[in-house]
Amino acid sequence: MNRDRIIADFAFNATRAGAEVVRAKDTEEMNRILSLLLRERDSILIYCPGLTELEKAASIPPLRLTMDYKAATICVEEAEAAIAETGTLIYSNQGGRLLSAGLLASHHVVMIREENIHEALDDFFAHLGDSPPAYLAFETGPSRTADIELQITLGVHGPERLTIILL
Amino acid sequence: MSAKNEIPTHPIPFRALALRSLSDPELRATLSLVVETFTQKRQEALAGLPWEEWRERLSSLRLQILNDLPAFVHLFAARARAVGATVHQALDAKSACEIVTSILREREARRVVKSKSMISEEIHLNQHLREQGIEAIETDLGEYINQLAGHGPSHLIVPAIHHNRRRIGQLFAHKLNVPYTEDPVELTRIARKFLREEFLRAQAGITGANFAVAETGSLVLFTNEGNGRLVTTLPPLHLALVSIDKMIPSTGDLPLVVRLLPRSATGQILTSYLSVITGAREAAGSWGAHELHIVLVDNGRSRILASPYREMLKCIRCGACSNACPIYRLVGGHAYGSTYPGPMGAVLTALLEGMERAHPLLDGSTLCGACAEVCPAKVPLVTLLRRLREQKVEARLTPWVERAAMAGWACAVRFPLLYRLGKVAAGVVWPVAKRIGRNTVLGRMPDFAPRFFRRRIW
Amino acid sequence: MRVQLFTTCLIDAFFPETREAVLRLLRHFGVEVVIPPGQTCCGKPSDSGGYTRESRRAAVHFLSLFQGSDPILIPSGSCASMVKNHYPLLLGNDPRLREKAEVLAGRTYELSQFLVQVLRVHEAGLSWSGRITYHASCQLQRELGVREEPLLLLRSLRGAEFVPLSHMDRCCGFGGIFMAKLPELSLALAEEKAEEIISSGADTVTGCDHGCLLNIADALRRRGSKVRVKHLAAVLAEALPGKQT
Repeated sequence: MNRDRIIADFAFNATRAGAEVVRAKDTEEMNRILSLLLRERDSILIYCPGLTELEKAASIPPLRLTMDYKAATICVEEAEAAIAETGTLIYSNQGGRLLSAGLLASHHVVMIREENIHEALDDFFAHLGDSPPAYLAFETGPSRTADIELQITLGVHGPERLTIILL
Repeated sequence: MSAKNEIPTHPIPFRALALRSLSDPELRATLSLVVETFTQKRQEALAGLPWEEWRERLSSLRLQILNDLPAFVHLFAARARAVGATVHQALDAKSACEIVTSILREREARRVVKSKSMISEEIHLNQHLREQGIEAIETDLGEYINQLAGHGPSHLIVPAIHHNRRRIGQLFAHKLNVPYTEDPVELTRIARKFLREEFLRAQAGITGANFAVAETGSLVLFTNEGNGRLVTTLPPLHLALVSIDKMIPSTGDLPLVVRLLPRSATGQILTSYLSVITGAREAAGSWGAHELHIVLVDNGRSRILASPYREMLKCIRCGACSNACPIYRLVGGHAYGSTYPGPMGAVLTALLEGMERAHPLLDGSTLCGACAEVCPAKVPLVTLLRRLREQKVEARLTPWVERAAMAGWACAVRFPLLYRLGKVAAGVVWPVAKRIGRNTVLGRMPDFAPRFFRRRIW
Repeated sequence: MRVQLFTTCLIDAFFPETREAVLRLLRHFGVEVVIPPGQTCCGKPSDSGGYTRESRRAAVHFLSLFQGSDPILIPSGSCASMVKNHYPLLLGNDPRLREKAEVLAGRTYELSQFLVQVLRVHEAGLSWSGRITYHASCQLQRELGVREEPLLLLRSLRGAEFVPLSHMDRCCGFGGIFMAKLPELSLALAEEKAEEIISSGADTVTGCDHGCLLNIADALRRRGSKVRVKHLAAVLAEALPGKQT
């Protein structure tokens, strides 16, 4: 399958799972999108780990930036990989990433580079090999439950909103 | 030692429990909604996919494990230890509870958070912990609701579905001291708020595992709510209870189970969250060191493995069989009086808790086969149920009237003359019996219309 | 062509009209029918109940009656499946009997299987008037894999209006001994099935198993419904030329 198709599949499946997907052609556009997203709710605290290049390049209003990820309402970070087949984002604990941050926030904003999108589950797991990192976290859409009368409600323990920025 | 860890031996009153469900129209309406929704979603999720091929592969994979289970368990333990996990092996419920308690005691953990784990329910862990002064808070919303209500799960996937929103509203108002609401969105928000505090202050997190990867010593956890990840990343200690039948060989087998489990359970392509945990993480700054203890629980599985019922251990706990079962749809999970409901519950409970306790569950099936049809691991549920019924007969647990009738029938069936005489007698007796027994099954039967056999050539 | 017919205990005891219909139907298509004497029961009730010894006796008796190599026709999905699928397993501990059972299974047909696969009755242009719906019995569809044949036959009836049954393949609650052991559950399932039949608007419901049909008929009767319950063989016999109502 060609790259365009894979990216389109990822966007489709992630949207189907309840995420919002936007495309950015470069970091400038990414930051324009971020400022729109972050402006929506003014006095909210934002956490961004600043581990990857993209995370370091993300422009977040300094007054609202916090390293207390438990207090943050929005978490901005980059996913290590993604899977087109299921619309899934993948993070690992490598580099000291705090994997609970993206869950504790009520809005998770995630950047993913197009070249890190794998076509199918098999591709990702094959590439994983036989020494996976200590913690691999997968995310497909927002947090949800149907435990009350089978009615779907979002944001149970994790975010009720997931925005994916494709670069 | 908790009395609760001893398995009760009086028979589960399935018929009485089932009748109770039958007379509850609200429960029946809920059950219909649940099973029909999940059935439809499952069909949509599997449409156009190579279902037969996938399930054959999953069945083979699981059989591969079962054919060599001790070796795989040994490999898993070795690999998990090599990446920093502490691995314990518990032969039965009692020792599993004791191991968990002692780990928690050593770290003076009095309040822990739990992600959904069927094996922990099977061994009655929460009760045991409570008796030892340790509070285990369920974080799966359905399990949390049940915990507040003092109920067991009624469905493998949506364990609290037997409560309606009003009942949940009342429960929250009463137990959490919040204003009454019956809006699911509000109720979810309340649960999120209360459980968030629990996550943040818990001294340990207890989970099960949907699968355990032997080659890498990894644990695999699926959740939709995100509580799996929180329970395993926030507290400094993660304690995982894994029944030994959860093994799969390698990470290369994960795509298959990732494709089959969510689709079979809820009709989702994938649950919102999935964690693959391989060993303990190193201490990294302010978020603290992480300790991982894995308790491998046998609790009868080796015995089942050596029995004619070993294929039951292929089960991946998706709940599709409950959704397909016409009896489950009528009576719901609580009628089964055990940790596991539905067709797989009837079989597994008989195997784990013994025939004396579980034999009434075996009657609650027409052997229609709808369950086996939807099982992603091709567990031969009908064959297993029938075999268990044979065992029940051999154990003389069937009513004597039934045994006598079967013996009489067998006689008549072999001796056509006797059969004919029986029909003559029945011609007279039947209408009388039907009248007398008009409120029993006899009253539902048609009228007798015997004919004598003649060799006829047309 | 000659066949051997196994009447089944339910048809023998309660539904002689179905046996007459089967005979009429087969005769119309030029089939000579032999009914080996001494027939009793295939052993399904004891088999479902876990009474293996009793079921084996029934199986051995059946094998002794059906000699030769003619096709064996059974107008019941559960009995046909018992013979085809379960006899070889039941007699598995005796290699000679097991082999006999396997050979016998190879020449055993459920009735609608035979009507479609061998006699091509669905191409015979039969006609029948009325609105008819179909209940798919459990062993018929899941153990024998017979799903299309009854539908083909019904859809081929000129003048008939076939209406689909909601949850057609859901169990009706008969389950043989189940009906006697858990009668309330059995009735609850039958009542739901009856409701669905009534909602379909059909004036007749048919199927290939009298166990299901008797259970359904009772539920319909309790509901005060006038929907007729007929075995597929009886419907087809009604559809033969010269049999129009």
